Amino acid sequence: MFKRITVALATMLIASSTFAQSTEAVEQRLKALQDKVAAIDELKQEIDVLTKEIETLKSSATEKTASEPGVTFGGYGEFRYNNPEHGDPTADMLRGVLYAGYKFSPRVHFNSELEVEHASTEHSGSVSLEFAQLDYLVRPELNVRAGIVLMPVGIINEQHEPTTYLASRRPLVEDVIIPTTWSEIGGGVFGDIGRFSYRTYVTTGMDSSRFESEEGIHEGKQSGSEAGAKDLAVVARADWHPFEGTIFGGSIYNGGSGQGAGFKGRVRLAELHADSKFNGVSLRALVARGSVGDAALINERNGLVGNESIGKTFGGWYTEAGYDVLKDGGMSLTPYMRYESLDTQRSVPLGFERNPENNRRIWTFGMAFKPISQTVVKIDWEKARRNDQWNIALGYIF
Amino acid sequence: MEHRARLHLLVAAVVVVAASLSASARVLMTQDQALASAFPNAKPSRQTFFLTKQQLDAARKESGVELNEQLVIRYAGPNGFAYFDTHRVRTLPETVMIVVTPDGRIDRVEILSFDEPTDYFPKRRWLDQLLHRKLDDDLSLKRAIRPISGASLSGQAIVNATRKVLALHHVIR
Repeated sequence: MFKRITVALATMLIASSTFAQSTEAVEQRLKALQDKVAAIDELKQEIDVLTKEIETLKSSATEKTASEPGVTFGGYGEFRYNNPEHGDPTADMLRGVLYAGYKFSPRVHFNSELEVEHASTEHSGSVSLEFAQLDYLVRPELNVRAGIVLMPVGIINEQHEPTTYLASRRPLVEDVIIPTTWSEIGGGVFGDIGRFSYRTYVTTGMDSSRFESEEGIHEGKQSGSEAGAKDLAVVARADWHPFEGTIFGGSIYNGGSGQGAGFKGRVRLAELHADSKFNGVSLRALVARGSVGDAALINERNGLVGNESIGKTFGGWYTEAGYDVLKDGGMSLTPYMRYESLDTQRSVPLGFERNPENNRRIWTFGMAFKPISQTVVKIDWEKARRNDQWNIALGYIF
Repeated sequence: MEHRARLHLLVAAVVVVAASLSASARVLMTQDQALASAFPNAKPSRQTFFLTKQQLDAARKESGVELNEQLVIRYAGPNGFAYFDTHRVRTLPETVMIVVTPDGRIDRVEILSFDEPTDYFPKRRWLDQLLHRKLDDDLSLKRAIRPISGASLSGQAIVNATRKVLALHHVIR
């Protein structure tokens, strides 16, 4: 009996000891869990704080307005390698352009482009302000602009970044018929009215002392560099945007080019253009016609004789098309073709002759590859009447 | 001399016309104003999501655009969800509000801030092309969305933002 009681007591002691031990273990685990929960709560609070901070940052970004004062900066450039059938290959950094703008106030903005052509002024390069203009924004329908302004003529003159046109070279029509890049000192108004946009400026006229036969009026642009202002010009442009990505428009230019030479040398230029991009397709066409008054007097002053005469009338047109075969993703690969026809001497003054070399037809076939939308590599073949040419171009914009 | 007089006359005319017009500069919005315009007479509730790595990868794959944000904040209103996205256009940022319907279609796009030159600012009629679009191959400048003439980077930035927001909406809803 005593033995049984002893065993029972021992069992109870062991059991109570074990119970005490397990309670202690549970309490310890409970404490550990409580600590972990506290740590999680603390972490949650930290996350909430961080979330609020991030949200505050995002909110402050959204509370900025587009018109707050500030500097804007960008640039573009293009390199080109040409390999003509007759003549030596050449490689050139055609242009490197730095864009800078400043918003003085919600209404007053400054925009400019500083361009370095052909890489170095030690060789054939130059540095110029392509444009530098002050805008006073009144309302979408009517705003005021003044400074060195890009003439609103054609397509390329105002949108000439290499990623925006198809071939490695700009169309020759928008080089010698429309003297891209054409800027003058002046001012005027611009705006949007529904699906129409317009720009009209009064500017300095051209300078006919640099007109010639092959390049036409190209070198007569004054670009705001100690420009003669005796003869002024008026330019006006209107564009219709029937749907997004498509523009039909036209412009007219009328201005003197004598700049004190004793004659007016009135230059008239008109053009119509169309540009459309949809579903990977790019289409563009332009036709331009111009005339120069007092052409015989200009020839005499510039010492041009025979078939060196400037054109009394001049003109040209081009059309181009491309299709992006990589329809998905960020890259694009666009085979393209362009045809252009131009003549800087459609007619010449009495006593002078036309040079058939200035009546040009050019086919261009090529391919443009954009690994991202801001860079482009183009390779194309130009077929002209007497000199075919391979071109490779590299362009960027930021 | 005659030209000078004509120029003076033109400049004077422009100044008079400009001065006579009432001020109406481009109005952009704060976040609160944007939410009020998206959900009038309602107070949208802010919702916060932390994406898992799997959700982030799925959103990247669905959108096809670069996406690194694991924290997503949206505002739930009666008829949809408003997301805010800040991204780079050319060299400078832009912030947009994109409202998505519960079934994952774009209901509204508003530009809240735009630091690039105003010439590159997308017009309302271009933004309207995005309405009712869902996340598919057509939501692309190479397909159903026409590019902005002369401002392709502005268009690309907003299309990318809408693709990103629709993908996020899909993985967290």
